[in-house]
Amino acid sequence: MSVTECDLLIVGAGPVGLYAAYYAGFRGLRTALLDSLPEAGGQVTAMYPEKPIYDIAGFPVVRGRDLVARLVEQAGRFSPAYLLADPARTLSRPPGGRIEVVTGSGALVRCDAVLISGGIGTFTPRPLPVGSQWLGRGLSYFVPALDAYAGLDVVVVGGGDSACDWALSLEPVARSVTLVHRRAVFRAHEYTVSQLMASTVEVITDAEVTAVSGRDRVSSVEITGQRHGASVRPAQAVIAALGFTANLGPIREWGIDIVSNRYIAVDTTMATSVRGVFAAGDITDYRGKVRLISVGFGEAATAVNNAAVLISPDEQLFPGHSSDAPPPAAPVAV
Amino acid sequence: MPYVIASACIDVTDKSCIEECPVDCIYEGARKLYINPGECIDCGACEPVCPVEAISQDRRVPGDQQEFVADNARFFSVPLPGRDEPPGNAGGSAETGAIGVDTELVAAWEAD
Repeated sequence: MSVTECDLLIVGAGPVGLYAAYYAGFRGLRTALLDSLPEAGGQVTAMYPEKPIYDIAGFPVVRGRDLVARLVEQAGRFSPAYLLADPARTLSRPPGGRIEVVTGSGALVRCDAVLISGGIGTFTPRPLPVGSQWLGRGLSYFVPALDAYAGLDVVVVGGGDSACDWALSLEPVARSVTLVHRRAVFRAHEYTVSQLMASTVEVITDAEVTAVSGRDRVSSVEITGQRHGASVRPAQAVIAALGFTANLGPIREWGIDIVSNRYIAVDTTMATSVRGVFAAGDITDYRGKVRLISVGFGEAATAVNNAAVLISPDEQLFPGHSSDAPPPAAPVAV
Repeated sequence: MPYVIASACIDVTDKSCIEECPVDCIYEGARKLYINPGECIDCGACEPVCPVEAISQDRRVPGDQQEFVADNARFFSVPLPGRDEPPGNAGGSAETGAIGVDTELVAAWEAD
């Protein structure tokens, strides 16, 4: 079992978690970031990477993906450990010991404090309505490595960016790629769709995968369209890219006070009801809470500095000004 | 400030919004879809995918569609015709499946 030792574990690598990683680094804390998604950036990366954001202090406008890239760069100065594509499962503290968080893959993180910046919770792929029992036996919800699809007949289901990007990337690798989308209009980026239409990927719209069959593994799918009726075609791999849903998931079982089944109650130090566990960002709740990235950034700084004192009681709450401890090669303002 | 589905959805129920919603808070009546204001996180992912442009944020609902702000909420908070309990905050439409009935406003809506 993989074991990560750190001072502070941040659960949720969205904007607030990334900013907390910067602050934790500035406080000299060894930090790890854990997230169920394969990339940092949380909701911004998963749902609206191209959306312009207008209410980040100091940025009249910033694209979602650019904000995430800058936050990663800002935290990167202190080299936090990233544990991605792996959800937090359990949190416990053995008598007299440090906090232990175990992930979905079985990795153990041992730390003195936890900051939950989990936003709307753990993202899980929306299941394919038919054939979810084939998961891991030809059906998948992600494409971690293209090589695994070499020489196969692949059916990709969905109409968003992930579906279209995966279909295009698999085109030169797979024997054949078919993209099945429930509607005629794609949600994916216009340029991606035009590339797709110019490729050898067979695009079937107004159609759904209505059956998945095979013996031990998937060998064929039935596709039913509004215009052409049902047809069965060989497929050794089915990739369902139907988006994600999110909910608090296992955090509910951590013994923390939860509000309305979706938020974590915190006090003015961002401490939860469990000692050593803090929260920041959209997931917190208190009187007057406003769920915006701007507010989450402030909560991240409050949470990390209070955690720093809890971890080392001789430390001061106020971290000092960042301008008093610039990075070694700080860029000079022009 | 949740999102609201207005009259353009009636008898269309395309359901692209249900596929987009990351918290699964859009529920299916008989003739229309409804957003649960208690579960909506105001992300706006549903708005651009609606082929009939039925969805908007509650504060931007067109003047002649204002009654649907309260009607979306009513779907979840009062028992629907023929039912004993309101759907409430069910935690996801994938869990409940189609609710299968509409509010009085929608049930009595005259198709154009």
